[in-house]
Amino acid sequence: MSIAPNSPGARASAAGLTAYPALRLASLASAAAAAGIAVVAFFAASPGARATNPPPPVPSISPDTARSGSLLVKTSKGYIEAIRVDTDVDIAVSGPTARARVTQVFRNPTDGWIEGVYVYPLSDGSAVDSMKMVVGKRVIVADIAERKKAREVYEAARADGRKAALTEQERPNIFTNSVANIGPGESVVVQIEYQEPVRQADGRFSLKVPLVVAPRYNPAPVAQQVRFDDGGSGWGSDPVPDRARIEPPVTDPRTDPPDNPITLPVTLTVRLAAGFPLAEVASATHQVTVEQPAPDTRTVALAGPVPADRDFELTWTPTASKLPSVGLFRERVGKDDYLLAFVTPPAVDAAAAPKARDVTFVIDNSGSMGGPSMQQAKASLIYALDRLRPADRFNVIRFDDTMTRLFDDTVPADAEHLGQAKAFVLRLEASGGTEMLAPLKAALSDTRPHETSHLRQVVFLTDGAIGNEQQIFEAIARTRGRSRLFMVGIGSAPNGYLMRRAAELGRGTFTAISTGGQVQERMQALVQKLENPAVTDIEAQLSTADADLTPGSVPDLYRGEPLVLAAKLGKGGAAGTLAISGRIGDTPWSLSLPIDKAAAGRGLSKVWARRKIDDAEVARAMNRMTQDEADKAVLALALDHHLVTRLTSLVAVDKTPSRALDVPLTRADVPLELPAGWDFDKVFGPAGEPGPERRAPVERRAEHGDPDGIFDARRVARPTRPLPPRGAVVAAVASPSQGVVLPTTATDAELRLMAGLVLLGLGLAVLASGAGRRRRPA
Amino acid sequence: MTATAAVAPRRRINPRVALAATLVLAGLWFAGQGLWIHAKAALAQVLLERAFTASLASGQPVKPWPWMDSWPVARIAVPRLGRSSIALESVSGQALAFGPGHVSGTPAAGEPGTAVYAAHRDTQFAFLGQMRRGDEIRVTRRDGVVARFRVTGTRVVTWDASGIDAAAPGHHLVLSTCWPLDAVTPGPLRYLVEAERADEAAGE
Repeated sequence: MSIAPNSPGARASAAGLTAYPALRLASLASAAAAAGIAVVAFFAASPGARATNPPPPVPSISPDTARSGSLLVKTSKGYIEAIRVDTDVDIAVSGPTARARVTQVFRNPTDGWIEGVYVYPLSDGSAVDSMKMVVGKRVIVADIAERKKAREVYEAARADGRKAALTEQERPNIFTNSVANIGPGESVVVQIEYQEPVRQADGRFSLKVPLVVAPRYNPAPVAQQVRFDDGGSGWGSDPVPDRARIEPPVTDPRTDPPDNPITLPVTLTVRLAAGFPLAEVASATHQVTVEQPAPDTRTVALAGPVPADRDFELTWTPTASKLPSVGLFRERVGKDDYLLAFVTPPAVDAAAAPKARDVTFVIDNSGSMGGPSMQQAKASLIYALDRLRPADRFNVIRFDDTMTRLFDDTVPADAEHLGQAKAFVLRLEASGGTEMLAPLKAALSDTRPHETSHLRQVVFLTDGAIGNEQQIFEAIARTRGRSRLFMVGIGSAPNGYLMRRAAELGRGTFTAISTGGQVQERMQALVQKLENPAVTDIEAQLSTADADLTPGSVPDLYRGEPLVLAAKLGKGGAAGTLAISGRIGDTPWSLSLPIDKAAAGRGLSKVWARRKIDDAEVARAMNRMTQDEADKAVLALALDHHLVTRLTSLVAVDKTPSRALDVPLTRADVPLELPAGWDFDKVFGPAGEPGPERRAPVERRAEHGDPDGIFDARRVARPTRPLPPRGAVVAAVASPSQGVVLPTTATDAELRLMAGLVLLGLGLAVLASGAGRRRRPA
Repeated sequence: MTATAAVAPRRRINPRVALAATLVLAGLWFAGQGLWIHAKAALAQVLLERAFTASLASGQPVKPWPWMDSWPVARIAVPRLGRSSIALESVSGQALAFGPGHVSGTPAAGEPGTAVYAAHRDTQFAFLGQMRRGDEIRVTRRDGVVARFRVTGTRVVTWDASGIDAAAPGHHLVLSTCWPLDAVTPGPLRYLVEAERADEAAGE
């Protein structure tokens, strides 16, 4: 074999073993003697020489390959082969609660046996308590079990060829249904039911039905991001330990339009029995038909099947110009009575000179905000800036996977500063990942913690498309200080769980803006909350001794928000009163409600249990409970009330096997739609390339640097995405069809050793020849 | 010949000697680095073995040395070849210098799915080339569980299209290293030893 080792091209042809040049030990050893000098030149540049090895390509996560089970493998048939899930949502609203039945039909269009896996969203307050699987004419009712045990039962059935369904919670607002052993051409129906309280704020009642899990930005487990346990054990962990579970494939709306044909068609009906005469019933997000059987009831239906690419929202208002300020409902389940109370505190007009405010606005300009979301966010922020008073101070922070603080600290809201801020906001463009932790901490860091002249507020505008919620919650609980955090959820499918919990921990509110038309109205309501005194020091007490009231510590309320209390009444039962007291601004406020006047409600026990579970999670985030205590509390409540939680799952197993054991079973993840208004390229990058949301961020946005020395364009130490092989491992989780990505497992020990020996030999040779020549003249 | 002429060449550094010295020093430097990589791999295993034993006893992860950012998660042993190695919870370049790494995104050995461990072809996993179908691989996990696997076959794949499904039904184990085994430059190919769980706990 002839060797010319220092030219990569020659090397490839000389080695000629594979398409990839690889120097063989033996050939190199023989070459060492023959072509000594050339080899030296080659090795002396050892690092450079190694770099000539072509860098392995970064695996693509375009929808063609992302999480594609064999059913989605790029064939000439493309996505036609994908498993389909039809969804029907049927919701009955009775007074303060809603009971929803979600029916998913898993249809297998292929001629193989498959396991369907569908990641879907539910409202973050939903208590999932029932799951049924329908196979042919048999209905199998699921049992609640601890998550691990439920999975074992499911996996055993899957291996035995029996049909089985499993409902697991990934986040309080993300669930997964897995259905095993769906035969060729067969359909299996899975039906889940959940209970949730109706939302009420600013004179409006509303119900939200999330229909799509937006692709999440999951920060990579790089060193800067590692989260350390509170126990001080020094062991860090991945900020998103379950990233694989919440990264289903996503279809590109350009190649697979969501409505032609609809891959995930949804039909939806709401039977509304409000309990009071209704004025307006409308959906800002979807076209609906509204029937009116009676003054206080409506039947609302979607105009036709719609693609699951945006959340559904229904709002209704009572006819009377004044909203009912109090609602009291009771239900008896088994031996216990449950109570649900809504109380809207009276609006006390702000004092003549309202307190000055110190507001930090944070705006998300990551790729997921691209399109209408970014416009809504900008419009909302501009609106809020316009409402600042001269006595107020403010600052603006923008972030994607980098962040910029407009001013060093909050500055007076004078015309000059506001002008700069508006120019800064209008220039923002959506791109990059969503690293939310750094800007959150920057916004919460308070340079004047003891100041009493100003109220410190943080207004955070984002779609919350992230997977490291827990990290965010912990940061808020630890660093909130005197600041109040107001979350503004932007876009067609914001992460409601993140928003609501963050606002709760930050003692602020959550405002959702899902269409451009809502900006004005909702921001106006938010500004009212920001400007008017909050209702603070709220205490609620039941006269019966052993009643269990939730939330345990009542959060502050803002203008237009009701206090929502759920309780399990003790032995006293329906007798007694519910006493509430607090302060609106500086004015004391108190109220006493006789429990026996409560109207009948439905599903209150589930609402109560779900809120108790939330309480435990909040206590955990605030370090008032250890992880073990919280787990124990959650598990007991979940098993008692038959609820799906992060620790419990519902599992249904058919008794009769249907798949012969020698026939293979393939897993098929149901590809999700991209939320409406999202830009596929901004999230995943141009076809074939991992996009900015998932790829190592490149240096950019120099234009936000300061053109005239005004802006302090400071960059946080950017948590860069690891490059392959580590980054590739992250990507690999999302593409099992390509398989797990394997790290580089070669050292250059031999290379260095041999280079060393050759150099050593040469050195000695030079020395020897020199010595020989010197001796000769003597 | 004058005296000065005789002294001058001695004071000047002989370029030939300088070249020779540079070459020798560079040679020692490179050879030392090469040896150091092997020494590090061998030495680390001693410390890792100790940390792993402590970890088994306490049930908690134990760092092998204070500034290491990973910890031992399993002992991988091949009784027929008399080889055993302590694997770390990471496949970062740093961790791989010391021992096999557990590829993230894959389950621990013995759990449902496919557990993947990777190590350098010239140190810890140099023995993969001698493994045969039917060989036993014994993995002792940090929690004390011992899972026994039986080798079902070997494959060569590219790093980004391994075809390994981490969520595959059953209990699988894959050991991965770079291919070709005797190459000296890194390349895109990987050599896989695939095994299936062989003890009663497999349950299927």
